[in-house]
This record gives sequence, C-alpha cells and structure tokens, in this order.
Amino acid sequence: MSALQTFLLVVDHDRQEAMQIAERVAQDVENKTTTLIEVVQSLVEYINDEDPILRGKAVSYLTAVIKALPPKFLSRQQVQVLTTFFCDRIEDGGAVAGLDTLQKLDRFNKDLAEEVARAIFEHFQELQARSQSQRFQVYQLLNELMSNHRSALYDMGDESLNGIVDLMTGEKDPRNLMLVFSILKVVMMEWDVSNYAELLFDSVYNYFPITFRPPPNDPYGITSQDLKDRLQDCISSTSQFAPHAFPALLEKLDSTSPNVKRDALNALIACINSYDPDTVSKYSITIWDTLKFEVLNAQEEFLSEMSLQALQSIAKRLSEGVTQITDQLPLAHYMRPIAKECNEQLQEPQQKQAKPAQQILSYMSAASVASFTLAVQAVVAPLLTIYQEADGIAKQRALLDTLVVLFESAIIVFGEWTTRTPEMNAENPLFEFKDQFSDMFGQALMGVVKEEVSFRVSALKGLLRLSTLRNFFQDNEVGLFVQYLDEILLKEESVGRDDLKKEAISALAEISKHKPKLIMDITFPAFVATLPDFDDGTGSKYLTTLEILAQISVEKDIFDTLVRRLLSKLNILLQKEQPGSAEYPKAILVTILYVMSQRKMDQDSNLELYYNKIVVELSRNVAACASGKAKNSILNDPSLLDILGRLHNLIVRSLPRDKQDEIAKNIYTLYCTEDEFAPVPFSQTANDDQQRTMIVSTYLLAGLPTDCAFLPYTRPNMSGLLSDTTKRTVTNCEPATHIALLRHMALLVNKFLVKSELNIATDIFNTLLPQQAGEVTLSPETIMTLFWLSKALVLRLAPKTTDILTSLLSLLSSTDEVTSTTAARGFSILLRDDDVLSPTNGANIRLLAKQRVFTTLVPLISSRIREVNIAGSDTPTPQYIKPAHLTALSGILATISPALVMPELPTLLPLLLQSLDLQTSDSQAVRAATLETLAVIIRDNGVGVIEECGHVQSLVSRLLKTTEFKPTSGNSAPVNSQRLRVDALKCLFLLAQTPSADAPAVAKSGKLSPLLPVKSQVLRSLRFVLDDPKRDVRKAAVDARGAWLRGVDDAPDDEE
Amino acid sequence: MASEMQNSNPTILNAADLPTRLRPTSSNKLGLFGKGLFAPTLLAAEGTGLPFTDSYSSADSDSDGDLLEEPIDEQEIYDLVSTISDPEHPISLGALAVVSLPDISIRPTLPNVPASPLRTVTVLITPTITHCSLATVIGLGVRVRLEQSLPPRFRMDVRIKEGTHSTANEVNKQLADKERVAAALENGTLMAVIAKMLETCQ
Repeated sequence: MSALQTFLLVVDHDRQEAMQIAERVAQDVENKTTTLIEVVQSLVEYINDEDPILRGKAVSYLTAVIKALPPKFLSRQQVQVLTTFFCDRIEDGGAVAGLDTLQKLDRFNKDLAEEVARAIFEHFQELQARSQSQRFQVYQLLNELMSNHRSALYDMGDESLNGIVDLMTGEKDPRNLMLVFSILKVVMMEWDVSNYAELLFDSVYNYFPITFRPPPNDPYGITSQDLKDRLQDCISSTSQFAPHAFPALLEKLDSTSPNVKRDALNALIACINSYDPDTVSKYSITIWDTLKFEVLNAQEEFLSEMSLQALQSIAKRLSEGVTQITDQLPLAHYMRPIAKECNEQLQEPQQKQAKPAQQILSYMSAASVASFTLAVQAVVAPLLTIYQEADGIAKQRALLDTLVVLFESAIIVFGEWTTRTPEMNAENPLFEFKDQFSDMFGQALMGVVKEEVSFRVSALKGLLRLSTLRNFFQDNEVGLFVQYLDEILLKEESVGRDDLKKEAISALAEISKHKPKLIMDITFPAFVATLPDFDDGTGSKYLTTLEILAQISVEKDIFDTLVRRLLSKLNILLQKEQPGSAEYPKAILVTILYVMSQRKMDQDSNLELYYNKIVVELSRNVAACASGKAKNSILNDPSLLDILGRLHNLIVRSLPRDKQDEIAKNIYTLYCTEDEFAPVPFSQTANDDQQRTMIVSTYLLAGLPTDCAFLPYTRPNMSGLLSDTTKRTVTNCEPATHIALLRHMALLVNKFLVKSELNIATDIFNTLLPQQAGEVTLSPETIMTLFWLSKALVLRLAPKTTDILTSLLSLLSSTDEVTSTTAARGFSILLRDDDVLSPTNGANIRLLAKQRVFTTLVPLISSRIREVNIAGSDTPTPQYIKPAHLTALSGILATISPALVMPELPTLLPLLLQSLDLQTSDSQAVRAATLETLAVIIRDNGVGVIEECGHVQSLVSRLLKTTEFKPTSGNSAPVNSQRLRVDALKCLFLLAQTPSADAPAVAKSGKLSPLLPVKSQVLRSLRFVLDDPKRDVRKAAVDARGAWLRGVDDAPDDEE
Repeated sequence: MASEMQNSNPTILNAADLPTRLRPTSSNKLGLFGKGLFAPTLLAAEGTGLPFTDSYSSADSDSDGDLLEEPIDEQEIYDLVSTISDPEHPISLGALAVVSLPDISIRPTLPNVPASPLRTVTVLITPTITHCSLATVIGLGVRVRLEQSLPPRFRMDVRIKEGTHSTANEVNKQLADKERVAAALENGTLMAVIAKMLETCQ
C-alpha cells in the first residue's frame, strides 16, 4: 500500500500516525528518493473523486507533506506550482492549510499572494458554508496575508475590499469576528474607502451593539468587551465613516437599555478622538443637541458623565492647533449654543437644572486654554450681572459655586503654583475680572453676617482656588486672604458646627504648600503671639491655637519653625518657679508629637537636633525633676511623661543605629551621672517620683531594635532585671507607673529575651501562680502581672502557651470572689492591641497567636459553663463563677477578629446568649462586648448563620429584652444602659437589613424569611422602644423598626 | 405615576443650610482636649493602660446621662421626615423645602388634661408648585413614616400648608380621613411608590 493510501486510512482516527506518514514522505522527498512531482501525481486518482471528503483528505496529504518539509526546501517554481494547485482546489479541505504553509515561505511572492486572495474571494460562498473552525482557517490565512503581503492585497484595491466584505458577511462566531474586525480595520485605515464607506461601515455596524455573552467556562476566553473594543476600533477607524457613524450612534441613545447607551457613548467618544477635527466639527452641534438631553435629564449618573466626556473630547479636538481665539473658530461655533444653554439654566442657579449646567461648564472649560477662554468670555460677565441683581443669599451662593467651578477648570488648564509642567504662554482670561473677583469673594467672606456659614464657605473656596492658581494672584493678594483666614480663626466666635473654621484651617494648610513664606510671615506670628507663657487658668484658648498650628505645619520649613518655637516655650515653662497647670506643657508636647507623627521622621534632616533637644535634654530634665532638683514639678506629671515618652519613642525609632546604641546605655540613667540620678532598677530606695521615670524608660526601650546589644543589666542574662521589675509590678504603686512597669516587663520578655532563656519568664510565672490556684487569693497587682507576663509569652507563642492559658483560666474558679472577677477582666489584656508592645515597635507577635488563644480557651470556657449549668443545686458552685467565665469570654471576643469566631459559632452562640441573660447592671461591659460580636457576625453573614444554629427566636427575644428601658429608683444604674439599648437595636436592625447571600434564590424557591415568625413580636415591642427617653435609642429603634417593616417580607398573598 | 414631570426644575436648598441638631458634644469640639484633632493621639495616651478601670467606668457615665430625659421635639420629627425623597426627583423633602422646621409642631392632644401623655404632631406640607397632583402622595408618605416611627401615644396631623396648593382642602380631607388613608395603603402601586420614597430615610 502506498503512503498515500495508508494516510487516507488512518487520518480519521489517528492524526499522529498520519502525520508521521507525511513526515516520512517528506523525508524521502528531501533525500531525493522520491520527488514532489511523484507525490502530486500519486494524488491523481483521488483528487478527481466524486466524494468531497475523499478529495479533501487527499489534499490534506499533500499539505501535510509540505508542512513537514524544511522551509527553504521548495524552489520558487515549486512554490508557484503548488500555490496554483491549491488555489484551484481551494474548495477542498486541507487546501487552505496548505496555502497557509506556503505563504509563510520566503519564496512566496506578491503575485502568488494576489492569486491566493483572488481564489478565496472567488469561492467565498463555498467557504462561508463551511464549519466554524474551517472558516477560522480561512480568516487566519487572510490575516496572515494581510500582515505578510499587505501590498499585494492593497494593490488589488476595490477587489480585495469587496472580497473581504463578501467573505465575512453573515459571520456570527465571536472567535471569527475577532479576526474579521482586525482584518477590516486594516482595510478601513489603509485602503481608499471613499466609494465604499457605507458598505464597509454597514458591514461592521451590523454587529452594534454587541450582545454576546460568553458561555460559562468559555475555553476561548473571548469576552464581550474584547469584541466591543475591536468593533469600536473599526467604527472609529476613518473619518469617512462620520456621515454614517454619528447619526447611527446618536440614534442608539434613544434606546431604553443603559448598556446599549453606554456602548454607543463609548463608540462616540472613540470616534471623536480619532476622526479628524474638521469632521468632528461638522457634527459637533448635532452631537451637542443630542447629548444635552442626556446631561440635563440624567437617568443614570454614568451616562451623564460619559456624555460630558464626549462633549469635552469634542472641545479638545477642536482646540487642536488653535493659537488665536476668534469668533470664527469651529470651536467658537461649537461653544456658542452650549454657553447659551448654560447661561439660560444659570439664570436661577439655585434650581435643580443649574447643577447639570455647572457640570457642562466645568467639563467644557477644562478642555483646553481656548475652550476655557471662550467659556469665560461667554459666561462670566452674565454671571456677574446676575450676582449684582440677585435678591437672595441662596442665589448668590449658587453663583459663587458656579464661579468656583470655573476656577477649578482654570487650575486644570493653567496649573497651580506647585505644578511642575511648563507654564502656558496663553494669558489667563480670568485676569480681566481679577479685581472684581477679589472684591466680590472678599466681601462675601468677610462682609456678611457670621451666620451665613455656607455662603461664606463658598466664598472661601473661591478665594482658595484663586490663591493656588498659578500666576494669578500677587503675593499681597494671597496675603490678604491669609489675613482673612487668620481673623476668622482668631477673632470669630464659633457658629454651629464650625464648618467655616474647619475650611479655613484646611485652606491655610493648602496655601502653606504653595506659599509657605506667607504663612510663616503672616499666620505664624499671629498665632504664636496668642500662646501664653504659662497657663494662668483664665481659660486661654491655647489648645485651639495649637491645633490650628499643627494642621498648617505641613511644609518642612513651617514644621521646623513650629517645633523650635514650641520647644523654647516649653523650656521657658520648665525654668519657671510657678509654671501653672501641667495641661499646657502637655498640650505643647502633644502638638509636637502630632506634627512629627504626620511626617516621615527618618528622612528628616534635623533628626539629630531633635534627638539632642528632646530625647537627651528633656530626659535629663525628667531625671532632675524626679530627684527634686528642678525648679518646678511639671515633669513629675504622669500623663505628661506619657506623652513625652511617645515623642521619645517616635524619635528613637527613626534614629540611626549608633544613636540607638547610645540610647540603650542611657535607658535608666536618663543621660545623668551616678551622682545626679540613681537608676530605678535594683534601687531599694526609689520613691514615687523616681519610679515614675520608668514611663520614659519604657518608651525608650520600646523604640530600640530587637538585637540591641547594649541594654543595661542583661549580662549574663536577664533574670536579675526581670525579677526586679516583677517585684515592682506586684507591689502597689501609682497606676501610670504600674502600667509602665508592666509594659517594661512585657517588652523585655516578648522582644528582648532570647528563646533559649524563656524559662526565666516561665519560672517567674510559676512562682507567682501556685499550682493549686483554686485555693489562693491573689492581689490585683499580681493578677495583672500574670496577665501581662502571659501576654508577652503568648504573643510570641512560647512553648508553654497552652499551659499558661489553662492556669490563667483556673484562676476563675478560685474560691475567692475578688480573685475570680479580677482575673476574668484580665483576659481582655491578653490579646488587646497595645501601643507599646506593638508591631511598630518591633514586638514579637506571631500571626497565629490570636487564633491559638481563642481555640484553646473557648472550648474550656464552654465546658466549664456547661458543668456549672448542669451542677444545679446538688453541688452548688459559687454564683460568680459563671459570670466570670462569660466576662473572660467577652474580653477575648472583643480583641480578636470576627473571622476567627465563625468556625466556632455553634459552640459560641449559646454562650453569647447566656451573656445576654445576665440582666444585672454590673454585667454591662460583658453584654456590650457580646452585642458587638453579635453585630459583626450578623453584619458579615446575615441571619442565615443564626438560623443554622437554630437560635433565631431566642436571640431576638433576648435582644428585645435588652432594648427595654426600665426606670430605676434612686441612684442605682439601670439594667440596660443607653449604649446597650442602642447596640441591641443595632443588632436587630442588622438582622433584618443584611440580606443573606442567596436571598434572591430563596425568594424564588418560595422559602420564607427565618425572621417572619418573630416579625410581629419585634414590631410590637419596638413600638414601645420608640418612646425611650433617649434620642439615640429612639433613632436606633426607628431604623430597626423600618428595617423589619421593609426587609422582612410577609408571606406572599395567595393571588400572587 | 405621572409620566410627565410636573415640576422639572425646583429650587434646591443646600444640605448644609438645613436645620440640624447641634450635639452638645460636637459644638465645642475645637476647644476640648481629646475631642479635636489630637483625639487619636490622646486617646491612645490615656485609654490603654488601665484595663481594670477603663471601659468599666463607661457604665457610670452612661447612667449619669440616663437621668437626663430627651423628649421628642420638632427637630426630631423634622429629621424623621426630611430625608424622605420626593416621588419626582431623587432629592429629599427637606432640600426641596416641602417640609420645614417651623411648620412642625407638637402639642398635647388633650390640653385640659395636663397629665395625659398624648401628643399631636402637626406637619404642614408645602408643595413645590400649587397644582402638584403628587401632594397627596407626599402627605401619605410623611404620614406613613411618622406612624412607623413614633410611639403609640402620638397622633399625626399631616396637612397642606394654607395657600400653597390649589386644591388644598380636597387633599387635606383625604389625608385626614382614616378610612381613605387605610384604603390607600392597601393599594399595592401606591405603597410601592411610598416605599421608594422612604428608602432614603436614614
């Protein structure tokens, strides 16, 4: 059997085998054992067969052989002969693939390409009738010809144009269309289409709008957006389509479907951007007349915005190359009706239609310098006239707002002072009105009654825009505005929500970016002058001033000056015999802390200076104060030390390594010699004032890197330092000092204790907590120490984590009620985010720590509570045990992310419900935490999860119970505080509000809302909550009731 | 409903100019330590450390506040109805000045019985144009909102403000007639319109 016969036999069921046969033949041809002519001749008996399938297979054989030949093997003549052969046989399967192989060869020339193309065009009807994949082959061949032999097709001119259009007519498959559109785009852009514009346009526009939606799991990955993009490229490819494209697209805007309109607008914008400006100009007014309607009667926000973009694009195109602005410009023709419309709508600028008119103005004027100039010429003068004649302040205000819109466009066109782009040569048309604006806005800001806040805010915004607009105001004009702002902030009384003052502050901050010198020269001295030397208790407003200063000190120079001035104020205070209240120095420090935290301190060039002035000097002062050698005792104030510590901490973190080492050595000595100040650790005689310096030391310690080698008292190991610190934490001392000591210990254990020495910490834990915890009574200080120590260990997931947690839990079952309840509250310490032991400070916090604590403790708590519940009266457990466990639980819940809670919900929900049953006034905190957790669970997951656990009814009735207001006699706190009532109402609101993910599906399946059985109960109860004495509660009740009325559907009526 | 807009270009009040309640806490926020700009910084400074005292003291401050009763006043009624949207525009009744604070009053229902807790709320509606056929719908919307949001001891009286509507008497009669209100609320289409109006209520 010949190779051909074998091929014909196997090709249907074993493609690989068939290919191998072809390869063998190809090799023979290559080795000259047979010739190509012989191969072709062998086909003779089959290619004239009646059966088209057999003919196709025979041609495929030849194709396969050619494909297997090396690309340079075929001579020019052979290529020619084969091409002619395939072209003759193009209706037979396999020929197209053969041609595709041939056209890739170097020896394939332009004439041949023409021949192939002609063959395709001549047989387009047969080719159209083929299957999708074969049509795809044809398009691919054409596409290849287009990219490799474009000139051949181009020279065919109309013939190829018509041929391609004929070929693709009726094509529906998205994969083929992708190719067709890209082939057509070449024709549209490069061929002379003047005689065929309509034909070509119609051939693609037939497909508009694309409604194709890919099937699920579409292997080809063609989205409808891909098709839309390619189609849009075709439509916008040549200006010659304009007479067809614009009317057709504008007509599509009559469609009722927003998606069709969106596609039409997108295509419209593409056309505007790609057609030449003359063409666009011809249709500009028509487009405006249609799009006007879309903007003025906006149905959908995005349609209006796209229409505005289209209008703006026209203005941009028409501005191209415009240097001289005259009435005769196409742009001027286009803008005229638009400006007229805007002027008409803006006659009554406070009415609804003025808003879209403002938007049109905004988009048009921002398009280019030319369009801005034309817009200003057309509208500003009429606006000013309306302003003069306006009878009400509301109208004037709306006019100011309109002008502000123009100013914003001016900024887009001309830039701000800080804009880096090259400056425009064109003159700003607003210059003509500069003085008028200045007077008008100045008058509006400063010359009206103080109560017209929103009017003045509009004026302020206008002046701010003009002040930042590049090369517009002179410095003295901006300066005047800055003075206005100073006056508003310093002299005016507060009105309402102080909107004007807030705006004034942000305006100053904004100006400080553009004109820092003005702020330094005008605002800064004026404000600093109002700062007192000390707080004489006469209610000076230094805090407001400091707040404002902090907010305007954005620029480096201003920031720098502010810090220096404040530090010198502080130093004066420290030298005073009678410095007044510590609140003032504290406020100064807070201000410095605030401005520093707003900046990237590690890149600040003055960092070294701040280190010396703040960390070193103030630490010395603290030490002096603690040993009673200072002029006053300001630096003995614990909250002041706390702020100072934070400031230290911030600076320490930003410092380079060598400075940090220096700090490490001075943590306890505070840069003093032995004689000046005795460090606290190991001191037997440290009094309260001295101990208080540990606040500062702790913050310094927190800022140091983990691997710091110069920590005092850590050689050979930390056990001495740790046990000294622990000794201080278990004794009673001032709260602020106490918490600092606890954090100090926690930092040492969590951050600096090396892993091999962890046993030092666990030993301390075991010493503090005897094994028989049930019997002991521990002091609150000891319990706190235990919890902080555990916190430090648990966060780094020390090996003994589980043991530690279990021991802590056993404290709750202590026979001593105080120990039990104090420990219960301690659980909130474990995972609470701490400012000092924080990731920012490099604390060792493992990702899974929270999860570990939760999954360890919850089952234990749950089973313990069950025990208590079951035990009943036989073996009475003390009353406080159950609330203590619930408190511990709430402490943990409040400090972990709700995502961790979800898997445990079935265990947890009964516990949460039991927490809500604690109807006593001292269980408020527990119930508040519970409600918060519940709110998050409901908000994230809907009512479905509650229903799955079967607790809807019990949850709702407990929530309702918590919403009740029960007047109490005397001074005892009510059972449900205001906050609890509001939180419970919020949960009820969320229950009805949050749609479960599968809501529509449920609705369809006719399943009723799980809330329906309780709906009437809820509505009835809430009706009485509406009469709660507290407004916030009533508000929450209104919302909750509204949600239940709206969100919980009744059973569908029978007739529906 | 009406296919043509009856008033396509009404005047709109600025949201910032609408009457709002000034919270005692927010009125002095510039001056107070811890309420202003530095609050986050300070909160962090003061709140953290003392887990045995903080957050448990909140109950105390609450109970202090609980003694102070805040009765339902005109502003509260205004807040309830001003966020209803107009059936024609996606704009609130407050911004359109259809309802305004001075046109809301709360009086004892039985002035002769001082101990009676019953109150009557009167809300006067000002339609944007005098021939607005949607006035009845707006009136119904306000009524429904109040009935859903006020306790049982309140009686509603929703009327068109005198001289602002050509058929005010007709509309008022309809709004005051319990039977007709109830009948209207049975009407599915009408309720759908009202539900849409109430959607924006916050």
